[in-house]
Amino acid sequence: MNSETKIQENASQNSKNTGSGPSSSASVKMIAPILWLLFTVNLAYLLYFFPNVPEWHLGNIVRVNGFTLLIWTTVTFFSALVSSYAGNYLHGFRFHARFMKLCLGFTLSVMTFVVSENIFLLLFSWMVMGFIMSRLIGIDSEWAEAREASKYTQRYFLSGTLFLSLGVLILAFTSGTYSVDVMITLIQDLPQTTVLIAALCIIVAAIIQSAIYPFHRWLLSAMTAPTPASALMHAGFVNGAGILLALFASIFFASNTLNFLLIIGGLTAIVAQFTKLLQVNVKQRLACSTIAQMGFMIMQCGLGFFNAAVVHLILHGFYKAYLFLASGEEIALSKPQEPLKIRIKPLQALVVFFFGVLGAIFFAFLTGKGTELDSGIFLTLIVAITVGQATYNIVKERSLSISQKIILPMALFIAGIGIYALLYNGVTVLMKDMPMIAVPLPLSTVQIVFGVVFLIGFFIMKLGGYKSLPWLYVRLLNLSQPNKKSILMYKSKSL
Amino acid sequence: MSHQHILNSIEEASRVIGKTWPLYSFVTSNPLSGYEKTSFSKAVNSAKELLNARIFPEASIYRQAWEDGEINEKELLTLLRENGLDQSPDFYLRKMESQKRTEEKNPNHELDRIMAKWLAAFMDEGLAEWEMPGKKEGFYKAWRKLAKYDSELSIAQGIDVPKSPSEALLQILSGYSENEYTKILTYHLAALPGWTGYINYRVESNSAWQQKYPISLEDYLAVRLWIASHLKAHILPQSKNSDIDPTITNLQYIWLKAWEKSWQNQLVKTLKGESITTEPTKGTDPDPEAQMVFCIDTRSELIRRHVESKGNYETYGYAGFFGIAMDYNNLNDGLSRKSCPPILDSSYQVSEIPQTNKEGQLAAYERKNDNFRFIEYFLRRMKNMLPSAFGYVEGSGFYYGLSLLGRTLLPGFFYRFKAKRSTPHETVCEPKIERKNVEHDMSLSIPLEDKVAIVKSAFDLMGWKHFAPVVLFVGHGSHSANNPFGSSLDCGACAASPGRHNARMLAKLANIPTVRKTLADKYQINIPEETIFIGAEHNTTTDEIVIFDSEVPNSTREKLVQIKSDLLRAQQTATQDRLGISKDSIAVAQQKANDWGETRPEWGLAKNAGFIIAPRTLTKNYNLESRCFLHSYDWELDRTGKALEGIMQGPMVVTQWINNHYYFSTVDNDTFGGGSKITHNITGKFGVVQGNGGDLKMGLPLQSLQQSDHEPYHQPLRLSVLIKAPETMVNDILSRNENLKTLLDNEWIYLMVMDPLQDNEIKRYQKDMVWTPAMETSKNNDLLEKLMQPVEVDELSEVSI
Ligand SMILES: [Zn+2]
Repeated sequence: MNSETKIQENASQNSKNTGSGPSSSASVKMIAPILWLLFTVNLAYLLYFFPNVPEWHLGNIVRVNGFTLLIWTTVTFFSALVSSYAGNYLHGFRFHARFMKLCLGFTLSVMTFVVSENIFLLLFSWMVMGFIMSRLIGIDSEWAEAREASKYTQRYFLSGTLFLSLGVLILAFTSGTYSVDVMITLIQDLPQTTVLIAALCIIVAAIIQSAIYPFHRWLLSAMTAPTPASALMHAGFVNGAGILLALFASIFFASNTLNFLLIIGGLTAIVAQFTKLLQVNVKQRLACSTIAQMGFMIMQCGLGFFNAAVVHLILHGFYKAYLFLASGEEIALSKPQEPLKIRIKPLQALVVFFFGVLGAIFFAFLTGKGTELDSGIFLTLIVAITVGQATYNIVKERSLSISQKIILPMALFIAGIGIYALLYNGVTVLMKDMPMIAVPLPLSTVQIVFGVVFLIGFFIMKLGGYKSLPWLYVRLLNLSQPNKKSILMYKSKSL
Repeated sequence: MSHQHILNSIEEASRVIGKTWPLYSFVTSNPLSGYEKTSFSKAVNSAKELLNARIFPEASIYRQAWEDGEINEKELLTLLRENGLDQSPDFYLRKMESQKRTEEKNPNHELDRIMAKWLAAFMDEGLAEWEMPGKKEGFYKAWRKLAKYDSELSIAQGIDVPKSPSEALLQILSGYSENEYTKILTYHLAALPGWTGYINYRVESNSAWQQKYPISLEDYLAVRLWIASHLKAHILPQSKNSDIDPTITNLQYIWLKAWEKSWQNQLVKTLKGESITTEPTKGTDPDPEAQMVFCIDTRSELIRRHVESKGNYETYGYAGFFGIAMDYNNLNDGLSRKSCPPILDSSYQVSEIPQTNKEGQLAAYERKNDNFRFIEYFLRRMKNMLPSAFGYVEGSGFYYGLSLLGRTLLPGFFYRFKAKRSTPHETVCEPKIERKNVEHDMSLSIPLEDKVAIVKSAFDLMGWKHFAPVVLFVGHGSHSANNPFGSSLDCGACAASPGRHNARMLAKLANIPTVRKTLADKYQINIPEETIFIGAEHNTTTDEIVIFDSEVPNSTREKLVQIKSDLLRAQQTATQDRLGISKDSIAVAQQKANDWGETRPEWGLAKNAGFIIAPRTLTKNYNLESRCFLHSYDWELDRTGKALEGIMQGPMVVTQWINNHYYFSTVDNDTFGGGSKITHNITGKFGVVQGNGGDLKMGLPLQSLQQSDHEPYHQPLRLSVLIKAPETMVNDILSRNENLKTLLDNEWIYLMVMDPLQDNEIKRYQKDMVWTPAMETSKNNDLLEKLMQPVEVDELSEVSI
């Protein structure tokens, strides 16, 4: 029974290696400035050339274009920020220097991934990305549960790499090229089944990375990572699927797998959003929220809007990084409260409807989505409901005056939709050289059925009927449990 | 076998677990409080056995102390020789270092994990929007209804889970003999000490959550034992093969004692020198410009030193709840919190009312509050609902990006920006005191005698006769960002609330003319008419002292100008001293207060080791390095010993709690402390778990105790109390208070007296009212009691190093 582990020994050796020697303290001090510098250079370059960022190739090995720079700027922003935060937060942590090095390594691996034109470079950097992330999850190697979590997540990431390799290599061998860009232009000429198999492999790789159901459990088991590492994970790693799918967008059109993305993304979005409601730990709640958001991102891809998915992954990164870094703020004395049931008056309903429609028109006008009868309508519909929900909460709030109730929704949706549209259009311009990244699909039965499912989800949540289903509670509770070995698996023996 | 018998066994077993306090009112209490009736060494040994805990400082801490000369060689050698240990200290140090902690698999892993899952779900205090169904019926019944759906238990059709906890316990325990009950129950309570400690807390405090969603240790044990038998987990504790060298524990205790003795010697030397040369000639200045009363908190020692050096100011130390046993009703969230020591029952309720002619301003303030509350609610709704969660992220993401930049790069700037613009409610409100728990035929207002008694007891306990024109009652509070342990840095005497409301309340009471008149007429306490009492707050993160002076007359306002500028200078030098930097120390402190990535905004009460109950003249000329609690006291004004008795019953016990908490959190941070902050995961709005989940953490985090993973900061020494009063007086008090004597006899704290009747000689309390001169090296052979086993020299030399 008492199987003692020898890892302790290793761990203490590790701690000696990464102790506070002169070299390690240098890496602690130097890495954040390096990352800020990288970010500044990227941003300056991007702004200087915007909107026409020149495309630049080095053989068929690497390629730099507007999209590359966009992702570079984003990822360096997150890692610079996280490393600054960690400068204080991890002060005195025995693996602080290792954290900083991994942070830099992670940034470089993502940068390599988006710049890769050669498939081997692409696959290698994808693998390194996952490898580094699992190292961050298990960075405290003296903590047995963290080691278990690290091993567990590593298995997911390796499988992801395996599927991606399979998909890409199939395409490479049938098309006879190792260049991603060339390969994509040849897609139309490849046999249908080959493309389908390749597309499915790439999709599996993507949804493993994005912790989409049924591959969600690794993300719920990753809280052994220090908080800043989690911020980096949720802002810069899980959304890697969005980048991957955008790079290979044409394949999903060719293989007719967009509906598959739509369904798996949409279902995950709904289920995870419900699961989020019952979480009692802050970080698990954030993880469920991320899973839902990633589901939504995949859904956007499934509707043909890969550019919208990219905007979403960036904005979600800001949002989630912030919430993780502030995750210590949730301690508060409170008292049990019955949920308020306030009926909405007809006039208020009218205001809600009016603002919803207004929001939708404003959104459609600025982004061009939903102006025609195609898949873009769904995205506009979501905006309309969101604006409606915001307005609903505002008009029924008693502490606000009438004028506040009119002005507030206006101000909010102009600020929100305005800035979104600005970014959306900016990103679309930067991605304009990439094939098939914003192709609205004609309305299909699958989409409409799915739209209805989504609306049903909305109404169930709105009316709160789910709360009277104990079996659903337990089902979702168990669905969101972390890997067993990463909790209470070990005991320490005292002296 | 009866239900009552089981309940009795639970009662007995529950002594082994402490109380886990919620982090929103983090009371630093002794995790082994259930053992205070037994000796320290026995208590720690039981804890070690049950919880697998470390009970003495690690060898590395001893090494550091040894190398820094904190452990006196002579004291150490004496203790070692008395116990038949003849080798050199270095030899024993290396012997202690040769022991490493090892990991082993948790034999009840699955059981512990499933219990943690359900406990976290049930005890949530509003973090989840969708609460565990059936919670109102209590833990056992709610769990029972859900258990059949739990695939991790796979309860087959036809298996019936008992209807009530008592049935379940009877059913499981019927397979065991009655004398095994306590053993079984203890084992299962100790399996998740953090969670069971929180059940303890809920039951005892009977919080609003407990009233609505009851849980008891019986519920817990019933669920746990039923699952254990269902999963065929261990119900009886496994016999342990003790492969740990018992001599190590003995050595550790000897080193601890030597270290404590060395520290006491140092303190005695310091105070001895002082009391001979400076008393009474260098007493207080005859007419101080202002007097300030600070909490006994160790952090006050630093700020008092710096304030005193800036002008003719006299300072006092008093328990930070300022003698008012009250709950405080917070204006911002409308909730009432305890604001006096947890050992006291609150008799008063204090709330805020508008100052004269400021009703309008208060209404505006409350409107702003409502708006903030609405924004919070609004954001939560938007984030939780489908599909607004997605639209919300897209619309607001950019603004989160901007906040990320601002909070990470410019925390100090935003601190000053916010400080400038905010108008605290203290500028428009005044505190109002009422009776708590009144029968309906009684009035809420409190009688004059109560008010007089509160004010009088402050002056009595502090030994205070002459009053300056301005008297500040300075409570203290800590300000830090993104810190789940924020309340652990607030005032321990106010049950981990900031003390400023108590300070303002006392000031208001002391300013009432009828109170002053009664004090003068009845008790000959003459407060000059010009004297005005004002509440204030010492911000312990920035060392700023904010004076709540919105109601003072203009004549006083002029005097305050000078005082405020002196306090600003005191802030400057105090932060320089505390942070060890000479430039921009205030800005650095402000940055620490508002930096969301800062895990050590301040050190709280770390390094506490002593409690001095004496007039300030005794300590005034010394830098005690924020290691001592200081209570003002003058025995000559307290011939009956009544005041001293109050101090020993109240503040001394609270400081012992604090000190023991720091001790245990330091010696085993994973078991008794909070572990490292960097992987904390807040659960249920009241606590933290580590990483993916598991047991609730019960104590201070590593970052409050250590400078880094390797370098200690707090020195785990038991509290040494020093009282300046005649030995006979202290003996009288001890003989009247069995519980205090027990604490001392069981060595949870040390006591020394400086006897003014015997030429200020300092003596140490030994045991059973025996006192010995403090500077004598210990010769007491039963010091180490039965913990000590004879050490065989052969065995020692075999240890390979
Ligand atoms: Zn205090």
